[in-house]
Amino acid sequence: MHRILVDTVIFFNDFVLVYFLALNATYLFLFLVSLIEVLKFVKRTFFSDYQHILASDLTWPISILVPAHNEEKSIVETVRSLQMVNYGEFEVVVVNDGSTDRTLKSLIDAFELRRLDKVYRRSIPTKEIRGLYGNLMMPHLIVIDKVKGGKSDALNAGINVARFPLFCSVDADSIIEDNALLRVVKPFMEHPTEMVAVGGIVRIANGCAVHEGRVTDIRLPDNPLPVFQVVEYLRAFLTGRIGWSVMRSLLIISGAFGLYKKSEVIEIGGYDSTSDTEDLELVVRLHENCRRKKKPYRIVFVPDPVCWTEVPTNLRVLIRQRNRWHRGLLQSLWRHKAMLFNPSFGIVGAVAFPYFLFFETLGPFVEILGYLVVTISAIVGIINWEFFFLFFALAVFYGVFLSIAAILLEELSFRRYPGWLDLTKLVVFGVIENFGYRQILSLCKVQAFWQFLTNSRGWGDMERGGFRKRGTAASPAP
Amino acid sequence: MTDVDLLSTEAVYELIVQVLWIVTTFFLGMLLLIIINKAWRESREGFSSRRRRELEPGLFKYVMSTEPVGAFLPPGTGERDWPVIEQIFFDLLRVARGNVSARAREAFEGLGIVDHYLVRLESRRWWQRADAAEKLGLMGSEKATQSLIARMSDPMPEVRVRAAQALGGIGTVESLRPLVAALRDSGRWSAIRVAGMLIGAGDDAVDVLLEEFDRLPAHAKISAIDIFGRIKSLRASKLLRQLLVAPEADLRARAAYALGMIGDPTAAGVLSACLHDKEWSVRAMAAKALGRLRESESIPALAETLADPQWWVRSNAAEALKSKGGAGQEALLRTLDSDDPYAAQQSVQMLQESGVLDAFVGMLTSTVAGEQTRALGVMAKLVKLRRIDLLTEVARDHPDRMIRQRLATLLGLPAPSA
Repeated sequence: MHRILVDTVIFFNDFVLVYFLALNATYLFLFLVSLIEVLKFVKRTFFSDYQHILASDLTWPISILVPAHNEEKSIVETVRSLQMVNYGEFEVVVVNDGSTDRTLKSLIDAFELRRLDKVYRRSIPTKEIRGLYGNLMMPHLIVIDKVKGGKSDALNAGINVARFPLFCSVDADSIIEDNALLRVVKPFMEHPTEMVAVGGIVRIANGCAVHEGRVTDIRLPDNPLPVFQVVEYLRAFLTGRIGWSVMRSLLIISGAFGLYKKSEVIEIGGYDSTSDTEDLELVVRLHENCRRKKKPYRIVFVPDPVCWTEVPTNLRVLIRQRNRWHRGLLQSLWRHKAMLFNPSFGIVGAVAFPYFLFFETLGPFVEILGYLVVTISAIVGIINWEFFFLFFALAVFYGVFLSIAAILLEELSFRRYPGWLDLTKLVVFGVIENFGYRQILSLCKVQAFWQFLTNSRGWGDMERGGFRKRGTAASPAP
Repeated sequence: MTDVDLLSTEAVYELIVQVLWIVTTFFLGMLLLIIINKAWRESREGFSSRRRRELEPGLFKYVMSTEPVGAFLPPGTGERDWPVIEQIFFDLLRVARGNVSARAREAFEGLGIVDHYLVRLESRRWWQRADAAEKLGLMGSEKATQSLIARMSDPMPEVRVRAAQALGGIGTVESLRPLVAALRDSGRWSAIRVAGMLIGAGDDAVDVLLEEFDRLPAHAKISAIDIFGRIKSLRASKLLRQLLVAPEADLRARAAYALGMIGDPTAAGVLSACLHDKEWSVRAMAAKALGRLRESESIPALAETLADPQWWVRSNAAEALKSKGGAGQEALLRTLDSDDPYAAQQSVQMLQESGVLDAFVGMLTSTVAGEQTRALGVMAKLVKLRRIDLLTEVARDHPDRMIRQRLATLLGLPAPSA
């Protein structure tokens, strides 16, 4: 019995080591692909391109969809900031998704809206639309008032009413930079028939100063939790998504900021309101549809259109958010399990799906169990302590290496954090996130797996500290 | 320790140590790279801003004078200052034209910056060639024309299109043919940038495009048609009318749209005929085009099109009628009686958007003979069509109590409070 137990533990330790090396080799590969792509991207980006997009009548117009549920504090400022975006022809479609506060009233008062008997095509079924509001002097602003159906349902209602061939989903509490639309539309200009969706980078606004809907001073927050997330976002966007995008198997476009071809989204029935992560599910379905129909298509990530958003400042909310994200990933993997290792889905089925299944889904289990088993193995003498410390040092250094790699990419390309202090802080947090933060997120993913099995759902509320106004010191969020 | 302890064997131990060393070395290397990169960039930025402060006053004096640029530069100014000098002039050119651009051009040529970019135009790296083409275009030096024309056959599309743009920026007539040739590049992105240049060239570009049109591939023909529309040149009208019966639906649709952009009212007849085209995209574009023409001949055909089976065609026809002023609005009002609910609903939306329904609401208390009755008739039609969102709001919020009262009665709402 003792022999079997020891053999099992040793086998598991070997497995953890091999798994760990395979996972990090994949991360390293993604980093190298991203590094090459970022350097190429910086070289081939000419400022004049954006001036052409802005000035040209041939640039595709965009409908900006803003789903809003109980956003009375920020919605007017958000709409005003979106109306000032630097782009040729666009409209802003705000969807009031059954708010119980004064979201609709604030919009009506601020923009002098009236109810309109507007005709639109109901391409995707949604919950009942109670009314459409507009101002004849502002034909590019439409407000939809509807019965609560969730974010997906609100976006689907927005798609029905939107007039333009491209739509951009933007969270009501996010800020998109002036030139973000010009940048995110460029891939559609380059490959108009093939391009289906383009994702932009999401950056963390906690700690930054905001004035009249614009980020005016970029700084890292004082609260450590958002700083960990800054490092994490840099890693996820600059190494993860760029790498997957280069390999034409990008599965995630952040719901906070993405640009889609409307006809393609309507073809698959719009957003799926039964998923916990409607953005991931939409992109997976777009891949599936295009691959099934053997259409040449592209879904890409562009690293410089920037959307600023607030992230959780307390652990409880962060855990809830990550829990939902991971549950959504599991739902999508399960729903589209037919794509796994299926050659008809190309690299998405052959590489991206297995990666998400074996590394993103199983990774947290292996990590948590690995910590436990390696520790116990050392305590009971199955492995020696020297090996134990080497193992942990390797795990930590590899994590640090990946974080620093992402910071290096940021420094070589976009350099959004200008000060030495912020840079030092990023490096330091890139190191210390490996002592606790990473493990907490892994535990949270294990919990999400359990909830997925027991079919628990829910979004929870995102508590926001609000953006720092210009001229005030960066203050820790509550 | 047990004898089966694989993880503590020497080989695995060694492997981990080696991996650890490699990772640590990479980590320190990257850290160093971050620091060096940031320090180097900041020192370069510091140098640029300092030199800009030193060079700017002299260069501003230079553009206002007739002396050569060398007389206005401080001693020690060399090649490393060229990026700063370039930037100062490019910034100036954004806000100034005429003599300033001529003087900037002279400076670029006099200092050898144009020659520097002409050499760079032959670089092995495509982005350097593209950058050189772009800069030469901004500098506007005619000296670069032949080299840029040669670059129009560069293997990289990005270089070709930037050379084409540069030629457009230089603005010589001989640059038009290479620009039209650049329309052959298949990317829409290339087409957009080249089209911008050709549109800027105006009628000269139309002549070259008309000459070349039959020889262009299909996608370039579409770009050319768009350019005709945006230049609004009547010279292209004849070709566009011919294209309305082309076998390719896309060409017909684009030609219809371009005729609308040109705004030639004599095209109303041929465009009205397109409202019966078998392809909905052509009908939709014809309706849109008719909305841009200042004529009323097409109103009956547009009113008929409000019953088209395709939503976009109906929508465009309704928009077109809205833009036709009084006669179009009358047609929309007549459509409120239509048996086709879609046509009627489109009409309601257009009447709302053009402010006609608000005017009718105002007439509910009019003392002019017949106005009140007419307004009540229109309101009754809206109630029948159940397009009452706006009326309900007006019945609640209108400042005139009498109007609120009348609407409440029509809508079956409780009487308004005083």
